[in-house]
Amino acid sequence: MVRMNRRKLSLTSAVLAVAALTASTLPAQAASDPGLTATSIKLGITVPMTGIASPGYNKIPGAMKAYFDYVNANGGVNGRKITLVIKDDQYIPTTAVAKANELILRDKVFALVGTLGTASTKAISASTQLSKRGIPSLFVNTGFSGFADKKAYPTTFSILPSYQMEAKIMGKYLKENYAGKKLALIYQDDDFGRDALAGFKQAGVTFGTYIPYASGSQALPATGAGWISKLKAAGAEVTVLFGVTSASTAALANAYAAQFKTQWVLGSVGGDATTIAATNKAYVPLLYGAKGFSFAPAPTDSADEYIKLFQTIYAAAQPTQTFDNNVVAGMSNAFLAVQALAATGSNLTRANLIKTIEDKGATFASPFLTPLGYSKTAHIGATGYWIGTYDPTGALKPDGGKYTVYTTDSGSGDVVLSTYKRPAMPAKGLPN
Amino acid sequence: MKISKKSRLLTSVAAAALVATAVVGIPSTAQAADPQCATAKFVTQCAGVGADGAPYLFIAAANFNGTVFVWSHGIRPAINIPATLAPVGPYTITNAAEPGPLAASGDLSVINTLVAQGYGVAGSGFSRQSLNVKEALAANVELIGAFKKKFPTTKKVIAWGASLGSLHSQKLAETNPELVDGVILGCPAANPNDALVAYFGDALWGFKALFDPSIKVGGYSTDPVKRQQEQLENIGKVLVVLGKLSGGLSSGAWPDTASPAGKALAAAGIPSRSALLAVGLMAGIPTRSKHVDGTSGPAGAAETYPLAVAPAVAILENMGTVGVAGTLLMADGELLTGGKVYDNSKTDYAARVAADRDLYSFALSGNSAVDAIIASLAATPRETADAAAVAKIPSLIGLKGTIDKPTVMMAAESDEYTPASIAQWYIDGYGDQFAKAKDAALTAAKSSRDYKAPVNKMIALWAKTAPKYSKFTSAGTPDLSATVGAGTGHCLYSSAQWLLAAKLAAGAVATGKFPNQGPITTQAKKVGLSYDKKFRVPTFKSLS
Repeated sequence: MVRMNRRKLSLTSAVLAVAALTASTLPAQAASDPGLTATSIKLGITVPMTGIASPGYNKIPGAMKAYFDYVNANGGVNGRKITLVIKDDQYIPTTAVAKANELILRDKVFALVGTLGTASTKAISASTQLSKRGIPSLFVNTGFSGFADKKAYPTTFSILPSYQMEAKIMGKYLKENYAGKKLALIYQDDDFGRDALAGFKQAGVTFGTYIPYASGSQALPATGAGWISKLKAAGAEVTVLFGVTSASTAALANAYAAQFKTQWVLGSVGGDATTIAATNKAYVPLLYGAKGFSFAPAPTDSADEYIKLFQTIYAAAQPTQTFDNNVVAGMSNAFLAVQALAATGSNLTRANLIKTIEDKGATFASPFLTPLGYSKTAHIGATGYWIGTYDPTGALKPDGGKYTVYTTDSGSGDVVLSTYKRPAMPAKGLPN
Repeated sequence: MKISKKSRLLTSVAAAALVATAVVGIPSTAQAADPQCATAKFVTQCAGVGADGAPYLFIAAANFNGTVFVWSHGIRPAINIPATLAPVGPYTITNAAEPGPLAASGDLSVINTLVAQGYGVAGSGFSRQSLNVKEALAANVELIGAFKKKFPTTKKVIAWGASLGSLHSQKLAETNPELVDGVILGCPAANPNDALVAYFGDALWGFKALFDPSIKVGGYSTDPVKRQQEQLENIGKVLVVLGKLSGGLSSGAWPDTASPAGKALAAAGIPSRSALLAVGLMAGIPTRSKHVDGTSGPAGAAETYPLAVAPAVAILENMGTVGVAGTLLMADGELLTGGKVYDNSKTDYAARVAADRDLYSFALSGNSAVDAIIASLAATPRETADAAAVAKIPSLIGLKGTIDKPTVMMAAESDEYTPASIAQWYIDGYGDQFAKAKDAALTAAKSSRDYKAPVNKMIALWAKTAPKYSKFTSAGTPDLSATVGAGTGHCLYSSAQWLLAAKLAAGAVATGKFPNQGPITTQAKKVGLSYDKKFRVPTFKSLS
């Protein structure tokens, strides 16, 4: 079994050159990385298009494709058109690994983009050996703080702020607004929730009631009912739900059925109204009055130049679909990917792409209202949140009528008001 | 949950009559060191008995081309197993000679095809069963001599085997390289740094710690009668626990034999399936099995079953083999080394499952449940091995793993008996070996000005586990009568797959090198195998 080793191949070349021998016996150096031609770039995404987590998330690839098609129609990236290969992983990590392997080995994509879910992303990274193979995994849709660690995931870049950041900002908000109230926390009992617990601890917030749930168990009818029983018994006045939207749906629906009232505070990934509506439209009004967190402009905010452009592009590509947080996430993902590819220039390689994001990523334009944290040592994307309240239609409106953004880190840094001024959107939303 | 009737433990029974049906009748009175032969229709078949009493068979036709395949059969239990332990029993110890793959199950197509092509085939039954590396090595050396004596035109010998038999083949190549020109490792067995001992031991210890404290991990009696009885009792207990766990898959109910630690976990609301999965993960048992693909679910639970239940069901199915084989191997290992060989006194089970927590979060019932299970294991007394016994293991089943002869390896991604990690160990080891050879060639080229690239001596053919193959009964349980999924189970290779391995090995032995990647890939694909040099499986949990 021949072990490939670039360093040794290079050494081979050097030695043989010095010895003035022919190079005919040497393996030929690859002309370019897989997934690239002079006119095309092939990217791949694995997401839950079916299964328990598919509602809402299954719109992300379509949103990405809509933006890529828009870029392609305007000349592509440095002359190359982008194609996106989409795989359905059903939100099952082992399936995600199989699909990622298909993308890498069969479809021969240049890079993965927008992988969704902490467990799936970790499993893909470990099992397909992205690092060893030097395959970029761009802008993964998970806020697990570990993915920002360049040493652990040298080819992976986050796009979301970390869950730890979110919990720290949420913790500050809880202390300032609900002091003395009976607090409860429902959280996903994996790395997602572990990050949240670390953030709340950092913020100095303790809850009277902790309700962990195994990822996926929210799909079982008894799970949500059990949560509400515990909340009722504890008399929870304020309940934080740090989980995915299907968990929010289960909580809100069971609270409604049990006539249980609490002040809901929903984490950023768990409060998308259209996703909740996909389960049952009658659940959407249940969001009314709940607190929510976001780092991107609200999808209803047509005054925002990015949202306005994205709405136009998406309406043309997917005229029957609702424009929501998932669409904003997908198009933002594609926007950042295009920008990274464009910034890498004509000498596009996997290694150069990674280097470009590390060198220039912090200065990339983005729809986000917080700074981007990409650097040579950190692969974190957005770094903060604004806080809002859901209106009766399920739209998250910023408190005070404007986006007040807080920023922090995934460590012991303070939560502070952000002074970040978002750069203007590139002309026509096309990165140079 | 029943163990597959096709288990290798069971299929390795009485091969005495198989060659008789293969070609010609076997002489009835074989003598030691003096095989008796008969020739009919240009095919000569010989039966003999080695110096230690091991029976052997070999066959070659008039068109013998000078290359013989010397087969080493897989493990057979060293104790009789009664019918009351069905489906493991009934089994009676046999040392019947086995001249090629699949022959034990009555499929003679491989040996007949090879003989028709002009190859010789040979195989011993070995004088002792179970961990018989020493006996197998002696028998194979003697067998090769006997074959060459009968067929003096013999030029090439290819050692091949399945499971423990592949360990014999590799051992033969390592210790007697002058006798071997090529090797085929089918579903290879090996015990790098006692990883295989840990694999079986961790699984059994997890069952003991949580589901039935009377299950033995080791410490078998030295008295042969008692030792046999203890093994049979242990197998029975493992099977009973598996049955109870199967009954509690949906409800989460624990076996009534659960340990105090298990009962505490049950009281905390942690389902037994989560504990079962945790045990499987800490041992490294595959989470896909013959009938459970891990991604399919029955009607009505298609979305939740793969996440919540399937991995535990796969462990359950695989644990049948692991529990039975682990019991037999541990007992025989102790007999041969004179003491306890399994030691988990320093094992960090939290680290073992760290990477799996999120992967199987729902089935494990979340981090809190995993923490509770690990804490209960931490509070359970550990097993301590006898250092002198452990020191003898390498001489018993140790291999260097170096590849000096053209070698074809076949491995299944989800083999529960000899895990795919063994194949990965071979691959990684040969990767290092090849890199060193390349460095040496470069060094030599500096002075000679003539770079001679080392020749690849190993190819690995994978039976990859298919993404979907599970079938479900109307009751919503896995259909255990359905076709076994590709890339699962132990040594379930078809005759076409064995023949491809034979063809590739014979070709490399004849020409000195394997074909290029393209032809191998194409041929492998035709028989349902994959030649993928980038494919990797996890290393042993105890080594990672």
